[in-house]
Amino acid sequence: MDKFANVGWGEMGLMTIIGFSVVFVVLVLLIFIMKGMGSAFTRQKKAKKVAELGSVAAAEEHEAISDQELVAAIATALKLYKSDLHDRESETLTINRITRAYSPWNSKIHGLTQLPEKH
Amino acid sequence: MLSLLQSNSFILDSLSNFVHQSGIGLFFAPGGWKMAVMIGIACFLLYLAIKKQFEPLLLLPIAFGMLLTNLPGAEMFHSDFFAGGHVHWEHFAHGEAGLLDILYLGVKLGIYPCLIFIGVGAMTDFGPLIANPKSFLLGAAAQLGIFATFIGAYALGFAPNECGSIGIIGGADGPTSIFLTARLAPELLGPIAIAAYSYMALVPVIQPPIMKALTTDKERLIKMKQLRQVSKTEKIIFPVVITIVIALLLPSAAPLVGCLMLGNLMKECGVVDRLAKTVQNELMNIVVIFLGISVGATATGDSFLNVKTLFILCLGILAFSAGTAGGVLLAKLMNVFAKEGNKINPLIGSAGVSAVPMAARVSQTVGQQYDKSNFLLMHAMGPNVAGVVGSAVAAGILLAFLG
Repeated sequence: MDKFANVGWGEMGLMTIIGFSVVFVVLVLLIFIMKGMGSAFTRQKKAKKVAELGSVAAAEEHEAISDQELVAAIATALKLYKSDLHDRESETLTINRITRAYSPWNSKIHGLTQLPEKH
Repeated sequence: MLSLLQSNSFILDSLSNFVHQSGIGLFFAPGGWKMAVMIGIACFLLYLAIKKQFEPLLLLPIAFGMLLTNLPGAEMFHSDFFAGGHVHWEHFAHGEAGLLDILYLGVKLGIYPCLIFIGVGAMTDFGPLIANPKSFLLGAAAQLGIFATFIGAYALGFAPNECGSIGIIGGADGPTSIFLTARLAPELLGPIAIAAYSYMALVPVIQPPIMKALTTDKERLIKMKQLRQVSKTEKIIFPVVITIVIALLLPSAAPLVGCLMLGNLMKECGVVDRLAKTVQNELMNIVVIFLGISVGATATGDSFLNVKTLFILCLGILAFSAGTAGGVLLAKLMNVFAKEGNKINPLIGSAGVSAVPMAARVSQTVGQQYDKSNFLLMHAMGPNVAGVVGSAVAAGILLAFLG
């Protein structure tokens, strides 16, 4: 590659520093833009709520109550916590054959108080 | 008798020709063993994709493309048609191109990665990033992996353009890696794509030890404030603003960022549901098949079986590790200046290395190992999607420097 014949450690180091810095600069610029946009929207939303509900305190209270995400997060947390509390079982099923000798005590015929009638 | 002998000789010659022209015969030609080894590697990758489910959606077509290109005599891909970084159109005009040559044009011309980015954008929720724009910083810090590997590759003797392509593995973003490598060092496309996708699948293994080593118990228990609700209007304006700002500052990053944001706008505006669903599903799936097969096709024996591939695989791990460390360390640094109650859990810093949404899930899982009631997923999604934007920006910078 002739194009890179004169590229040495100095140039590579410089490219690394400039490259990494440019990534930061671009993304920091985006932070400022998004923050500005976010605060403008939040102000607008709050002003709308205040106009709807009459006072700042009422708007804030309404916002706290209607925060559906918070409710969903609490519900999920409770569900996961409760599922964690469940007893662990061995999950092994065994079927053991048990020999039961005949006895009047387990005989069906002796257990019936009234014999069925034959027709 | 003479005619019988002549006939026998003709049959023997024909048989000999047949054996030499058959694929099996070509295995014994000079360099044929490389194809056999590559077929073995392709089968191993197929095993990883099917049995171990390592990014199967991409690894499976990549491995099969690798298998097809290394079948002797099939002539499905010709790397010399793309020699010198240019498409030699005369071969296509004369009908000499194989199926994989034609599919590879989409990679070479940078079409597939951009189409995939439209789909990625349509599937991504930028809400957590809009709610907490500081996440952009963590996304930027995690790009440390790209630049550390860039220098590391140079130390191992790679040419600067190759260093750029290897470094971008640290962005943990497959389409970005393929987009940049197809332009800077197309001969390394096979190993770089395989390293990028394999390590992305290994994010849950690579990241947690680094995250735990760089944080204290107290830091891992930090609970972050609930994110504010983001309005639909903000979500619609976001992709338009990002596209304009990044395209004006870094035109070389415009194709990737522009496509990502187009997909996102389709999803958020709510008036083109059919298009949004198409790019999320049908278009994405079709392009993934073409991209996978054609990237796999570049992994021929000559380009893959060398020391460079081994170095690329080692540098890939360095890239992912440095990116993870960069994000976590910057989150710790931000905490030094943050007020009590506004502190960031440093575990979300690791999510800055793209790999959406796997890296964010890793932050959530590690956080829950220390406190079951700490939900970091939505907080980690911010740096995670910021990482996608950050790696596209880094790719644009490397392209501007080295392209």
